[in-house]
Amino acid sequence: MNKQFQKIYLDPYLFFSIFLISSLGLFFLFSASNGDIGSVIKQLVYVIIGLALMVLISQPDPDVFRRLSGAFLLFSFLLMGITYFFGPEINGAQRWVRIGSISFQSSELMKLAVPIFLASFLFNKQLPIQRKEIMLSLLMVFFCFFLVYRQPDLGTALIVACSGLFVLFLSGLSWSFIGGSFILLVISSPFIWNILLQPFQRQRIATYFNPDSDPFGASWNIIQSKVAIGSGGLFGKGFGEGSQTQLNFLPETETDFIFSVIGEEFGFLGVLLLISIYLFILLRCFYLALSARDRFCRLVIGGLSLTFAANLIINLCMVVGLLPVVGMPLPFISKGGSSLMSLFIAFGIIMSMGTHKKFLPQ
Amino acid sequence: MIFEERQIEKNNFSSRAILLFGLVILSFVMILIKVFSLQISGYSDYQLAALKNKNYTVPVQALRGEIFDRNGVALVRNDPTFDLITRPNLIADIDNFINEIQGVIFLSEKEILNFKKAYQKKAFANKELVLKKDLTDEEIARFEVRSFNFLHAFIGKRYRRITDYPTIFSHVLGYTTRSENDFTTMPDIPRSHWRDAELTYAHGLIAGQTGLEQVYDNYLKGKHGSKVYEMNARGQFVKPLSIVNPFKGADLYTHLDIKAQKSAAKFIGNRKGAVVAIDLESGGINVLYSSPSYSINKLSNGVSERELKDLINDINKPFFNRALQGRYPPASTIKPAIGMYGLSSSIVDWNFKLQDPGFFTLPETGRIFRGWREGGHGKVDMLKAILVSSNTYFFSLAYQADIDALSKHLSSLGFGKKACADCFNEDPAFVPTPEWKYGIMNAGWVKGDTVNLGVGQGYLVATPIQLANYAAILATKGKFFEPSIVTSGIIKKSLNIWDDKKFSNLDWKKMHEAMLGVIESDAGTARSIRSLKKFQVAGKSGTAELVSLDSKEAYQDIRTSELLRDHSIIIAFGPMPNPRYAVSVVIENGESGGAVAGPVAIEVLKSLVNE
Repeated sequence: MNKQFQKIYLDPYLFFSIFLISSLGLFFLFSASNGDIGSVIKQLVYVIIGLALMVLISQPDPDVFRRLSGAFLLFSFLLMGITYFFGPEINGAQRWVRIGSISFQSSELMKLAVPIFLASFLFNKQLPIQRKEIMLSLLMVFFCFFLVYRQPDLGTALIVACSGLFVLFLSGLSWSFIGGSFILLVISSPFIWNILLQPFQRQRIATYFNPDSDPFGASWNIIQSKVAIGSGGLFGKGFGEGSQTQLNFLPETETDFIFSVIGEEFGFLGVLLLISIYLFILLRCFYLALSARDRFCRLVIGGLSLTFAANLIINLCMVVGLLPVVGMPLPFISKGGSSLMSLFIAFGIIMSMGTHKKFLPQ
Repeated sequence: MIFEERQIEKNNFSSRAILLFGLVILSFVMILIKVFSLQISGYSDYQLAALKNKNYTVPVQALRGEIFDRNGVALVRNDPTFDLITRPNLIADIDNFINEIQGVIFLSEKEILNFKKAYQKKAFANKELVLKKDLTDEEIARFEVRSFNFLHAFIGKRYRRITDYPTIFSHVLGYTTRSENDFTTMPDIPRSHWRDAELTYAHGLIAGQTGLEQVYDNYLKGKHGSKVYEMNARGQFVKPLSIVNPFKGADLYTHLDIKAQKSAAKFIGNRKGAVVAIDLESGGINVLYSSPSYSINKLSNGVSERELKDLINDINKPFFNRALQGRYPPASTIKPAIGMYGLSSSIVDWNFKLQDPGFFTLPETGRIFRGWREGGHGKVDMLKAILVSSNTYFFSLAYQADIDALSKHLSSLGFGKKACADCFNEDPAFVPTPEWKYGIMNAGWVKGDTVNLGVGQGYLVATPIQLANYAAILATKGKFFEPSIVTSGIIKKSLNIWDDKKFSNLDWKKMHEAMLGVIESDAGTARSIRSLKKFQVAGKSGTAELVSLDSKEAYQDIRTSELLRDHSIIIAFGPMPNPRYAVSVVIENGESGGAVAGPVAIEVLKSLVNE
């Protein structure tokens, strides 16, 4: 570790790549919002607060997080409860909790609380993990999944479930168990289709398999997104020059489909640059996970960074038409304070786990 | 935890982390491949799709060509008219705006209502909206002075299809009507965009419906242009991107002569009939008039349903173009043609004489065919027979004719087929043959039918244009052009030659002499018109019987019903001896040919030769 950072626990590679991508995000948002400077300033404030928060959170020793993990989870449940009882209903879903003038999407905290709690739960258990612990863990994951799912917010619920499952997998879940679960999942898929999925979600999946069925209705978003990306070509149409974006053919340009805006205006080269930065962040997290000081840190870095990767990949796959449409923002770039804050917090924790070394006696 | 166990656990974690991060990288590769297929392989398709999304192409109507007479005077022209056009998207307070406009331009309740009904939609889409059509000069002047007050309104120019001779040229020029399919020539523009077309004519999309407007529609209509707007997903115009200007249609130059057409209309007056005049040098049609007529200005620019109904139901059938569609028995005007047949088939010669007792008896049945003059014309040869219009002579000649050969001869003179190269809806009429009669009446051809043909009665019918064409063949001694209305720049015509080895130049000369005598000699049946002009005219008049009657007395009985009275017909050409124009006139129920149709023919010829 550099002497300069002796006192401040900060991973410079992660910090600068995140700083870079969230700055680029502001730039993209300006075009995606048809030049709405108000949105950009609001997002800028979030980015500044988020960067500060990230640095702040990376300072405490990982053990602090481990000890607080249970309380953190309970706090998340509390927010979920407030959302359920007092949260405003927007577009038929209750996802927000309002504290003073600040609104927060409570499920975002679940994405952090679940892997951290599981990591601390499993960190001192005997390996390979025993059946009892597996069952308890799975029960916990499913409960959290269900809480988010019934808001309803299937996308985030799946991410929450993934975040828990990643930790379980990394901590050495046996392959036979994984195989069995997979078979169970395949068998129960009709049940999932009929009971778990809302009609509009079934529609989205049907649209995915037959995109030409309803070009002005259900398939509109994905068709326009592909046209936007495709028409960007190698170099893109230029900043603020994307006709699909600027003339409103592309839906949700500031949130879910902001990648299509980047594709249209900056072309394949812009996409390559963006994906390279994301890849760099992930590889850095991978390195930090491998070199982390103990099992808890490894599991948390692995769980949080893979959750971030899943989030990113689902968004990218959705806008290019590889997956059905699910509401999922592009990390660090899509407009929205909640997801941005939870990302900065997550990377703050990752940095804390990655930069605090404990030299054990050999 | 001992070190070894820690190392195993760490290795286990590493391999699983590598697996998961490997999957992440694999996903990235998949996504990049997909993005590559969209942006690089599929680029042209998606670029086209993006353009199709935003580019909204609307047609821009072309101006039609104008039509000119033979002296270069416009017969049909595009007459500008001015509309008050607004930009509703820029108007903040619509009531206030209307109040201000009303101070300058009168607006009817209906105009205000229509405007209020449409403006919101147009404002949303950033489209223009017409507030008032056809502004008066005064309104335009008042508006122009105060135009700085009305930044969101302007005066737009559009056109009407107007002729300064609305009734005399109606049949030949024809009119235009709204055409719904005119933009099909631009398949790239979807039909749903037509409603946003930029219209050049106040009446909208128009296409020729009758007359020259119809026949030369493709020539006149030009090429529509197109304008591309950038449009957003909500259907709002953002800005115009590009324009392909329309091409004005080609102008049409005709042989029509305003002065002569005017004479035709004037001298037919309110009688029913038709006049056709042909320029012998070119075959150009100088006059093509059918009476009664109607105004094409109204029809071309929006006629009320009631007015249209009245025109359609008019008992005098003004829409019926008698010059091209009226079937009339040629009556005695056919006699020169029968004479030509008699001479070329050696049934008679110029010296052959026949005693005319005033009637002809068919040897087979004893049926009597009467002449027009009680007691007959005494001894007649061909010359006298044409001069005095002896029926007996031509009955007798036709009696000896072979009907097939005679039919063929009449066809060679243009009967029974369309005469004109570019006339609208010309009726070919017909020349009767035994096959025709059997087909239509299921009866055999009898000698009496041929005898009737000899004086242009019976089954033979011809249109005024055919009669004029026939007159032109006679006038040019068989060296004639196909009649056409437009000048030969557009249609290719070559000299037609009517030739028969047994019909010599001397025969032509004598025929002209005989026809000249019809008008210019003391014995001629049309001598009454001799004094109307200074130049000499050859011709042949006729009286077409509508009812077959055996005696003069019987005719006097039916004469009281005007619609059963005989048609008056004349063909004429002049000035002699080197004729330049041929003309045919038919006046329905006009009775005596020479005295009634004759003066009209003479006046038209006088206009044409500028006397």
